[in-house]
Amino acid sequence: MSGAGKTEHLRLGFMETMEVDGRGHIGGLLITNQNGRPLEFQCTTPVKPNRTQEILFGESLRAWLLGELIGSTLLDRVSIKPNMIITSDPNLLELRNHTSIPVACAADAKSKLPEQGGTLRLGGSILRFHGGYELDAQTLSKQKHLISDSADLAEPLERVREALAETVKTVFAR
Amino acid sequence: MSDSEFGIAAEKAPDVVDPALIREAKRGTRVDVAQTGFNPALGRLPTIETQTVSLNTVLAFVPSWTARRIPIKCIGLTLPEGIEFLPPKVDTTKSSDGVELKRIGPPRKNFDEAGDGEKPRKITRIKPPSDALSLQDRLFYLLQPPLESWLAEQELIMPFEPFGYQYEGIAWLFSSHSALLADEMGLGKTMQTITAIRLLLRSGQARRIVLICPKPLIPNWQREFKTWAEELPVVTVEGNGQRRRMLWTMPGIPILIANYESMARDIAEIPEDEQPKFDLLVLDEAQRIKNRDSRTAEAARSIRRRRSWALTGTPIENRPEELAALFEFMEVIPKAANPDLRQLSKLAKKYILRRTKDLVMKDMPPRIDRDAELELTDAQELAYRTAEKEGIIQLNDMGDTITVQHVFELVLRLKQITNFDPLTGESAKLERLMADMEEIGASGGKAILFSQWTKTIDWLAPKLKEFNPLIYHGGVPTKKREPILAKFKEDPDAHILLMSYGTGAVGLNLQFAGYVFLFDRWWNPAIEDQAINRAHRIGVKNPVIVTRFISKNTIEERIDRVLREKRELFAAILGDGANDNVSLGLNATEIFGLFDLKARHKGGSKSIGPKPVEQTTDAA
Repeated sequence: MSGAGKTEHLRLGFMETMEVDGRGHIGGLLITNQNGRPLEFQCTTPVKPNRTQEILFGESLRAWLLGELIGSTLLDRVSIKPNMIITSDPNLLELRNHTSIPVACAADAKSKLPEQGGTLRLGGSILRFHGGYELDAQTLSKQKHLISDSADLAEPLERVREALAETVKTVFAR
Repeated sequence: MSDSEFGIAAEKAPDVVDPALIREAKRGTRVDVAQTGFNPALGRLPTIETQTVSLNTVLAFVPSWTARRIPIKCIGLTLPEGIEFLPPKVDTTKSSDGVELKRIGPPRKNFDEAGDGEKPRKITRIKPPSDALSLQDRLFYLLQPPLESWLAEQELIMPFEPFGYQYEGIAWLFSSHSALLADEMGLGKTMQTITAIRLLLRSGQARRIVLICPKPLIPNWQREFKTWAEELPVVTVEGNGQRRRMLWTMPGIPILIANYESMARDIAEIPEDEQPKFDLLVLDEAQRIKNRDSRTAEAARSIRRRRSWALTGTPIENRPEELAALFEFMEVIPKAANPDLRQLSKLAKKYILRRTKDLVMKDMPPRIDRDAELELTDAQELAYRTAEKEGIIQLNDMGDTITVQHVFELVLRLKQITNFDPLTGESAKLERLMADMEEIGASGGKAILFSQWTKTIDWLAPKLKEFNPLIYHGGVPTKKREPILAKFKEDPDAHILLMSYGTGAVGLNLQFAGYVFLFDRWWNPAIEDQAINRAHRIGVKNPVIVTRFISKNTIEERIDRVLREKRELFAAILGDGANDNVSLGLNATEIFGLFDLKARHKGGSKSIGPKPVEQTTDAA
């Protein structure tokens, strides 16, 4: 990637979750360098909320389960801490309330998101940050040059989904 | 009702409950029943009393919930650190050998994004190999980026962007521990191998790689590495025995290139406890180990390695057993196992990747084959018939002592006469060649001529003087060969390159030559095709015209007929990947049959084959 200095590195985290039939949700976090090369991957075992949790969390259940519970666990477990986390699921933005690392939702380049507070165009994607942390976009824009304009930031999320599907097939389907 | 509620009622009773109501309640509970047994008790009025209860009493049941974090287990994978190399210069547009380079872009995501009507680019994902059983192994491959973006992100500057089938080949090699890349000649096996090696090093899957190739091809591999992976340090095993041994055993050399002879000799001399261990062993022109019991094959199998790749455009030249020899090297069959055709076919599907030009290069300029069937000149005819007659008489006189080698010698003598009459120098082939070359020379074209004999090449050179012929055969020292090829490419007056099959048939890129002449026929069309594909390969811009000289009513015509009848025999093994390249050589019965002689020994079907290419061509 052009302009990448020897000492200047950007670690990107790509986080996705997946529902496993009858067993709850699993989550995966892939850490890559700025070129998309994988450095570390962590995925959880399935997590299923009980009835009480379903009632008490109500509409915030998914954000709590995916963002706080699964997201925080994954982030705790990775030994290489990312500079930012990218996801396709807005529920995972909740993770930002439990970490100092910026969390953004990748929107497709053709989506009509305004490029103003809380959003950042990075590579071929527009990132939307957590509403409560709009400075995240500004902070990360300083490292924007490390990412190629043509980089597809949604692509690594596909890898995470494939890895989760493989894990379900290999381990949890037994 | 709970106790507390009773308590509240009782405590308040003195103030709020009217005694009259209590009396009424007592009256209301009176029951009229017969005065027998327990029944009198039912007739008595109930006693209602009140008592005071403190509100400070601990309640027996309180629903409560505290948010607790559910313990979650994780499965983790840390990917190995790859070797970092100095990046190529950003502004590089030409490689060190002057090839025009091009930076490739990552795959476009979709049609709209391109915005310019360009079609979306295909994405090549690396799939885990079928024999990767552990989850970690499978995840390693799944988590790699698509090949197109991986290569682009590393600023891989290439002479041209790989074709789709080449991306697939690279991905397949990258994830294979045992692989036989058997693409037809000219489809870019070298580039696919170098790129896959590069990715293995980059992803930390390999740190020490050895590539074995025929000696004449070492400069070619060095040049290709320079073009395709300029940053990779490549060291060639050469020099005296001490130096070679040092290079074999020295750690920290990412890529080592050695020739087959050096491998067979040096590896045997290194003590057991000093034997080098490699992450990958690549055999180029792997048909060199088709004889399983040969010293070369044994040496290749003895090298310690984690991955084994074989490269060849002709996985089977003569017999299916040759494929078994390659599978044994790849460690997919037990030692000395002899799989039948069905088993070979099954293994081929799993471990062989073979594409033909017909399948993948539909837009490549065609190769136009034409057989030039020539009448011998009078002098040649006389010499030929005399030699044939005398030869057959001699063979018949030998009785039971006749061997295929005797017949083979007669075949060689007759083939040489079809090239030119040794007494008068008359040659029908030369006449035709001169006529064609005048046209080619006048139009500024270039041609390659192949012959089995260096003697024929040396005889031809002075006769083709006006076309500035260049000679490239086993008699030319290795160091002088590269400049010859460079001159042929760059000198507009050099119109013809005279090559021997053995030295020139493999590994060279001569796609700027539009004409190929096969002055005499090799024993096996696979070798002929290798030779032709020096010119008809990726990068060729115009059709390649191939002219095969065949002397009518001679041994050449008979050999051609026999070989043509046998071409399809191995299609069952290689499936769609099989084509005309695959054929049988002649066996003993067939050699005898060329002169209507019967095999005189029990092993009538035993294949005698020609001597190895290099030896035969250079011996003559």
